[in-house]
Amino acid sequence: MEELGKRISKKALRVWRISGAIGTVVAWVIIAGVIAVIYIQSWPWWIAAILAAVGILEALAVIVIIPSLRWKRWRYEVREQEIELQRGVLIVRHTLIPMIRVQHVDTEQGPLLRKYGLGTIKVSTAATVHEIPAVEMGEAEEMRQVISSLARVAKEDV
Amino acid sequence: MSERKKLHPASVLLTALKELKELIIPVVVLLFLGDGEGSSIWRYLPLAAIGAAVLFIIVSSVVRWWRFTYWVEESELRIEYGLFVKKKRYIPIERIQSLDVSQGVLHQVFRLMKVKVETAGSSQGSKSEAELTAIGIEEAKSLQEAIQREKRRKKQVVEQEETSSYEKEEETQAFYRAHFTDLLLLAATSGGVGVVISAAAAFLSQFQEVIPYEAIFEEASHFVQLGAIFVAVSAFFVLLFAWIISFILTLLKYANFTLRKGEEDLIIQKGLLEKQQMTIPFNRIQGITIIENPLRQMLGFCMVRLESAGGAALEEGNMNTVIMPMIRKKKALPMLSELFPSYDFAVEFQGAPLRAAGRYMIRACLYIVIPVVLVIVLLWPLGLWALTALLLAAAYGYMCYKSAGWHIHEGQLAIRSRSLALHTSFMQKNRIQSLELSRTWRQRQRELATVRATIKSGMAGKEVRMVDVSSSEAKSIYSWYGTKKRE
Repeated sequence: MEELGKRISKKALRVWRISGAIGTVVAWVIIAGVIAVIYIQSWPWWIAAILAAVGILEALAVIVIIPSLRWKRWRYEVREQEIELQRGVLIVRHTLIPMIRVQHVDTEQGPLLRKYGLGTIKVSTAATVHEIPAVEMGEAEEMRQVISSLARVAKEDV
Repeated sequence: MSERKKLHPASVLLTALKELKELIIPVVVLLFLGDGEGSSIWRYLPLAAIGAAVLFIIVSSVVRWWRFTYWVEESELRIEYGLFVKKKRYIPIERIQSLDVSQGVLHQVFRLMKVKVETAGSSQGSKSEAELTAIGIEEAKSLQEAIQREKRRKKQVVEQEETSSYEKEEETQAFYRAHFTDLLLLAATSGGVGVVISAAAAFLSQFQEVIPYEAIFEEASHFVQLGAIFVAVSAFFVLLFAWIISFILTLLKYANFTLRKGEEDLIIQKGLLEKQQMTIPFNRIQGITIIENPLRQMLGFCMVRLESAGGAALEEGNMNTVIMPMIRKKKALPMLSELFPSYDFAVEFQGAPLRAAGRYMIRACLYIVIPVVLVIVLLWPLGLWALTALLLAAAYGYMCYKSAGWHIHEGQLAIRSRSLALHTSFMQKNRIQSLELSRTWRQRQRELATVRATIKSGMAGKEVRMVDVSSSEAKSIYSWYGTKKRE
């Protein structure tokens, strides 16, 4: 299937790496605790070694590999009649949401996203919610207005 | 009908019973907690707490009944209620979709009805907009008429032509009535067996202290064969017991099942102990599913279900409504086409490609691989027989593969899949909320894809999917749903 036109903000990479790093720190604290217990109880050292390896691999995955793959795959397009999303690292997903099915659009900003001037767009239909993560805030605002005005054009019952 | 009305006094009893039912679990917990030894105060505290709770429920039920009034005024259904805080709820009558009535045993004794008011946009919370716990049958009828009258008046302001022919709607002939023999068959092949088995297992495990299971098993395990027979026999009796209970429950639930076709809605009546009447407006219907569990499929029978939007508690918990509990498939299809002329039920399904067959079989085996390995390790070498389970799983996977299929005809997407029972879902393009095409790494290599369509069902959505359709077909479904021209 052909690639869609729009990408999400390049700054998303930064944000994902930072949030990955935060998760990794938490994971390492837990791993360190477990290793300490292993040392005190003098359980076999190879369990500790495996845990440490898992910690390092996890860090590599969530800080380096996954964010860049994820960013590369994330594309979207807002057209007059529909919204199309395309994303996924292991499972590539393509989603179509017709404008007339859109019920409302929200923009959201967590603390990390706010720091980088980004926002998440949430498109809700009567039955589903779809997210476009990390779009420039100005663009997100604009898109929210575009989508809600396009969605208002034709409204049948649910 | 502008004077204020109260519910029937029996509603005190009904509310109190309902609340007491919810109290059962905490009471059991409390009793067990208080069972330990300790000072005498601790022993009596739980009992006192229970007593207080029961008293509170009884008093609050009376107060609630006392403070609950409803009436029709200025084309609004107005309700005032509240235990501590007085609440008012005014529902404009043109927003009322339907009044769903039901009768429990108590209702039938006192000739009462429970009325649920369903509105178009009751999308907040899962409860229906308003509920009248118990009012006299005559009352319910006159309320229904008042609302009809009000609606009609509103309509006449808008369009003058429609003047007569409204009265007939109430008296429409039954479109479909479930035969008793069919219902017997339905109950006999009921799929609710599993639920009842687990309930029975849970129930039996409560008696662990009374019946010395361990002693029995120890005794039996001296004679392995005897043990096996014992387990088999008791399993059989548990199953039989579960089957009988589910048989009775199903029969009670669907007894006197009648489906009526009104001008704008479907009306369903059913139940013996708990009589129910439901109204489903045609324009709220989101999709139709035909379900055939293996036994019923062999006999040529099926069940037909509707997904409908909003209108809170159609059927406690889930939003799909059975419109034909048990019917010969040959008979069902023409009837469905008559009920829903915009749907096309005679479709030829396009199956999954041959290269997907293996994937279906492997997936089915994956579910049981861990228990099989465990059995082999624990019961070596006899446990090797567990490998036959893999064969069964593979056969099941192959059946799922054979059943999977899709079909597009104009504005309709039909998807067939099997999860033990065969599900055939019919959806119209303008009812599908969103469509997703996904491919795992392996699927991309083999040019396969999974298609998921979501329709609205009650408050939430229902996902209908076809796994491992060939990539090119998936793309054609995708572009059928989309508007962008693709080459």
